[in-house]
Amino acid sequence: MLSATLPTGAAFVREHLRTPLTLVMLIAIPAFFVLVFASVLGEFSEALGGTLASQSATAISAGWATAFLCGALAFFQVSSSRGADRRLAAAGLGPLRVASSRILAALAIGLTISAVAFVTLWLRSGIAHPLHAFAAIFAFAATYIGIGAVIGAFVKGQLEGSLLVVLVFSVDAFSDPQMTSNGLIAETPTQNAANLLVAAGGAQGSPPGDWVGAGSIALAALAVALAAFWTSARTRA
Amino acid sequence: MTSTEPILRAEGVEKGFHRGVPPRRRRVEVLKGANLEVRRGELVGLVGENGSGKSTLMKIVVGLLERDGGAVERSGKLGYCPQIPLLWEKLTVDEHFELFARAYELEAEAAAAQSLLDELQFERYRGYRIEELSGGTRQKLNLALALMHSPDLLLLDEPYSGFDWETYLRFWEMSERRRDEGMGILIVSHLLAERERLDRMYELREGRISGC
Repeated sequence: MLSATLPTGAAFVREHLRTPLTLVMLIAIPAFFVLVFASVLGEFSEALGGTLASQSATAISAGWATAFLCGALAFFQVSSSRGADRRLAAAGLGPLRVASSRILAALAIGLTISAVAFVTLWLRSGIAHPLHAFAAIFAFAATYIGIGAVIGAFVKGQLEGSLLVVLVFSVDAFSDPQMTSNGLIAETPTQNAANLLVAAGGAQGSPPGDWVGAGSIALAALAVALAAFWTSARTRA
Repeated sequence: MTSTEPILRAEGVEKGFHRGVPPRRRRVEVLKGANLEVRRGELVGLVGENGSGKSTLMKIVVGLLERDGGAVERSGKLGYCPQIPLLWEKLTVDEHFELFARAYELEAEAAAAQSLLDELQFERYRGYRIEELSGGTRQKLNLALALMHSPDLLLLDEPYSGFDWETYLRFWEMSERRRDEGMGILIVSHLLAERERLDRMYELREGRISGC
């Protein structure tokens, strides 16, 4: 299975990286979030009644940049290639191998985005626990690969789908308990990963519960992404 | 070369779709019991008006779409050329051949690709990305990907849209040659001008198929 999945996944990665604007965004969005957005995120949190400190906001913004990019790219992986993927599956590769190739490509792109966000954060403010920070940023990536892929599998329109990704991202980012005191949403998908990232950036110990939570959500999101890629490559009802 | 055993048999195929959103949601029955057969060494046409369900029937036969009722039996290797070229915009012509060779588990990929590049005369585009190709060249690749594993049954959905006159004539020569070698071919079109080249022709009208 790997003999077909690896080269097919590599082709899917090339497909994405051949878009010059995507490459620019891979650098520009983490830079914008960490260098510009983070400085207003703390003030914004304060205005909303949250407790996010400036240094924490800088750390967490690397996670948000990764989440936004990974969600958007996973959505477009499904949305822009649905027909061709389905044709390839019907030609003999099968939906499972097409889906495995897609998840490999999403992970490779997610790792690249995480690395860019991590380096940007490191250059901006330094990181007390770099390994923890990278793991937390990658948890953001994995979570949003799942969200983007699911939206791509069930929403056909590119405009509607990308707006939905932005909506989920906005609700997730601005409903975190550290961001607001309104208490409308007690749990958000990236809450544990955000706690880990804030702790890693501020040289604090990471609570085991957040590791379990972030790891579980990331793994579940990747399983959901695999199912979404499989759904979009298989026979339609 | 025509054999009596069908390589494709569709019987009583039914398919409907839900259209619109509530309260305007409604169900449209596209296929209401469509029957057709294709044998080895046959060149068969399927015609019908726009929206008559030809492409839907093709997708059901290929396995891209589930049917609501009826039966589809096919044997041997299948080649499918969809109406709209389903390709990856950022990948090259060569990369498409590689991907499909892997799907077909084809060992002599380079030879198969080269033969089709020569036959359809688009060898010079092999390093081009799909986004850089004209509609006609995309369609050549679309057709070549369906042919590269020498299928026993070839399903062509509006295969010559975008072809220039020379390529159009070459397409028919290619089809007839493969038919003579034993391939079963079904060509779907809203307009089949070359009826004399076909062994049989079906017409899809109001969800049902009749011979004509």
